[in-house]
Amino acid sequence: MQVFKAYIIIAKKNLPQMLIYVGIFLFIAVMISSLNKTPPPGEFSQAKTKLAIFNNDINGVVSKALVKFLSDKSEIVTLDNNSEKIQDALFFRNVEYIVKIPVGFSDSLRTQNPIQLEKISVPGSTSSFYTDMLINNFVNTTLRYIKFEPSITDVQLASNIQKDMSINTPVVVKTYETYSGNTQNVVYYFNYLAYSLMAISILGVSGFMIVFGNIDIRRRNLCAPMTSRSMNFQILLGNMIFAAVAYIILVGISFFLYGSDMFTTNAALLCLNAGAFMFAAISLSLLIGNFAKPNSISAITNVITLGTCFISGVFVPQQFLGSAVLTFASFTPTYWYVKTNNEIGTMINFSSENLMRVGGYALIELGFGLLFLIIAFFVSKRKRVSNN
Amino acid sequence: MFLHVFVNRLKCILGDRQIIFWTLMFPILLGTLFNLAFSNLASAENFSKISIAVVDSPAYQKSMLKTVIGFVSQAASSDSMFVVTLTDEKQAIDLLKNNKVEGYISMKNGPKLFVKQSGINQTIIKSFLDTTSQMESTFNSIVKSDPVKYQNPINLIQLQLSLTSNANLLKEVSASKSKPDTTVNYFYTLIAMACLYGGFLGLKEIGALQADLSTQGARINVAPVHKMKVLMGSLAAALLVNYAEILVVLAYLILVLKVNFGDQIGYILLLSLAGSMLGLSLGAFVTALVKKGEGVKIGILTGVSMMLSFFAGMMYVDIKYLITKNIPILGYLNPANLITDGFYSLYFYDDHTRFFINLGGVLVFTTLLCVGTYLVLRRRRYASI
Repeated sequence: MQVFKAYIIIAKKNLPQMLIYVGIFLFIAVMISSLNKTPPPGEFSQAKTKLAIFNNDINGVVSKALVKFLSDKSEIVTLDNNSEKIQDALFFRNVEYIVKIPVGFSDSLRTQNPIQLEKISVPGSTSSFYTDMLINNFVNTTLRYIKFEPSITDVQLASNIQKDMSINTPVVVKTYETYSGNTQNVVYYFNYLAYSLMAISILGVSGFMIVFGNIDIRRRNLCAPMTSRSMNFQILLGNMIFAAVAYIILVGISFFLYGSDMFTTNAALLCLNAGAFMFAAISLSLLIGNFAKPNSISAITNVITLGTCFISGVFVPQQFLGSAVLTFASFTPTYWYVKTNNEIGTMINFSSENLMRVGGYALIELGFGLLFLIIAFFVSKRKRVSNN
Repeated sequence: MFLHVFVNRLKCILGDRQIIFWTLMFPILLGTLFNLAFSNLASAENFSKISIAVVDSPAYQKSMLKTVIGFVSQAASSDSMFVVTLTDEKQAIDLLKNNKVEGYISMKNGPKLFVKQSGINQTIIKSFLDTTSQMESTFNSIVKSDPVKYQNPINLIQLQLSLTSNANLLKEVSASKSKPDTTVNYFYTLIAMACLYGGFLGLKEIGALQADLSTQGARINVAPVHKMKVLMGSLAAALLVNYAEILVVLAYLILVLKVNFGDQIGYILLLSLAGSMLGLSLGAFVTALVKKGEGVKIGILTGVSMMLSFFAGMMYVDIKYLITKNIPILGYLNPANLITDGFYSLYFYDDHTRFFINLGGVLVFTTLLCVGTYLVLRRRRYASI
């Protein structure tokens, strides 16, 4: 088992580099799941815009009512009234809408030329549209009262508006499917897994292939008293065990992170899908190992993992990617892996039709794996022949 | 002699394919990937019309809702916000189930909204329904205030008409001359990262000069040339390459990917130059300080660059804001953040105060690192290597 032992020694040498990838991956995965707090299903919760209000019309009764109305409907952010702070907050979306109520706004509503409110928002955004709608509704209601009941007192006005504004339309949330936020976190984890599985495969498998591919070492190995069958078998064994260990560790971590959410049919399908992807990743690594140079391996790892992950929807969800990018990405196994994960994540009905479709995607991943293997085989065969 | 060193070091650097990959090709590749991945992200927050279904019924036909929905679903109107399908209840449920609409409205026992999940679009539909009911309430309470007056149909019609005419008392004030497009920050951190990756050049140059790091360094040390001259020649070559690379990356981002850097080309070039010098001196400092093999040095340099870029928001843009807001001093101690923030302030701010603070920070860092390197390296003599 000398070859197998050599495999383990080489894999150990590459371990620190692999751990970096695992570390980065875990950091991202944990951060994503802690940031994703989905509201409990079944109950409707109003979306709230991050809003900052600067009320300079302190004594205005209507202005006060407006502030109260907006505070109920929005997530209020307190900001210093300093243009740099406001710009920063808006750029990084710590605030989405800023409204300034000028001095004398309340009183001016009773005149022919009411003072305008100043707003700063992300132009064209949905949150800006929504907040415009709220403010316009409030202001127009006020103007109507003033127009048709000119003698109305400020206090009466404020109470009328408040009464009108408190009318709420009942909302019914229909649950056609048991869609839990936690499954979504598991799907995020498995999508990100594409990055680390691929990186570790390339580092491990290609790292080994490169050492053994060195022409002097290969010549020495060829004259060793060992059948090439035994040698190839040991290499295969090494690759398989390496793949299995990497898979078990990375998929295993998800059981620690998500606990009971992992004991669902969805999670089981996700694990199977990760297995199919692992096969494709290992085959690709074998192919790369056939022509990579020792000092180009980290460049290749980065180009391939980052490249495929970015265009296939690992870092940015597929729905946000352009169709041309996705078409291009569909020539990589990563695209199909992520697509399958997303479908599994939203699946509630495990009908044979649904399972067949998802299974079909997984078959495409396996097909990629097979294709890489065949090419790797031909490349290595040619290399062997040409060297002789 | 300076020229001799300069030209030959230039050849050495340009012949090193690995260095050229990491300092030039890798930032270009990442920029391309950012562009592919983020180009639709900015438009995702834009408002687009919401598809809804309305269950047709006699109650709906008589309601005020019908009139108002008519107003907000005209395709040509600027108030247009909904794409409406008028249908029966069964089909409405079907549409909702298959995600063809975001929600449907039924007038059975008063207006009611049916949705599948909570979200901003659903909130807008609800808010719209609230508004309609609120208008009715306003209408009723005005009529009640003076019932006699509104027995006159002319007054009543006037009141009804007022419900559909809306004044706009909102004045848009823009926060800055540029759009608050968060994705540009990713490209700014990319330039910062490319600058810091220039450290690989610094690492290579110092390595080639130090007698205990390379045989080449040993040979150079016995040459009858002032070391300062050799050092300057090497660093000038490295700086030229690094700055040229940064400019190529910048040109690629601005001209090919159309990333908005603002239009103050002079300041952009200045900041890039300062950034290149910073990267070089960082690499030189790490090489001088760390007494381990080249692999370890590269590892440290990569790790430091990545970590600093991460805190400048390269992987997750909110990190930059969180730091700037809560621990601003940490932002100023992070060279990657200084470079990123410099580009950001050129893009987004009207005045240059913050830009010059950032530029000054970069220069201070560069000076400190250079002095540090010099103190470590000066007057080294070896009895044996």
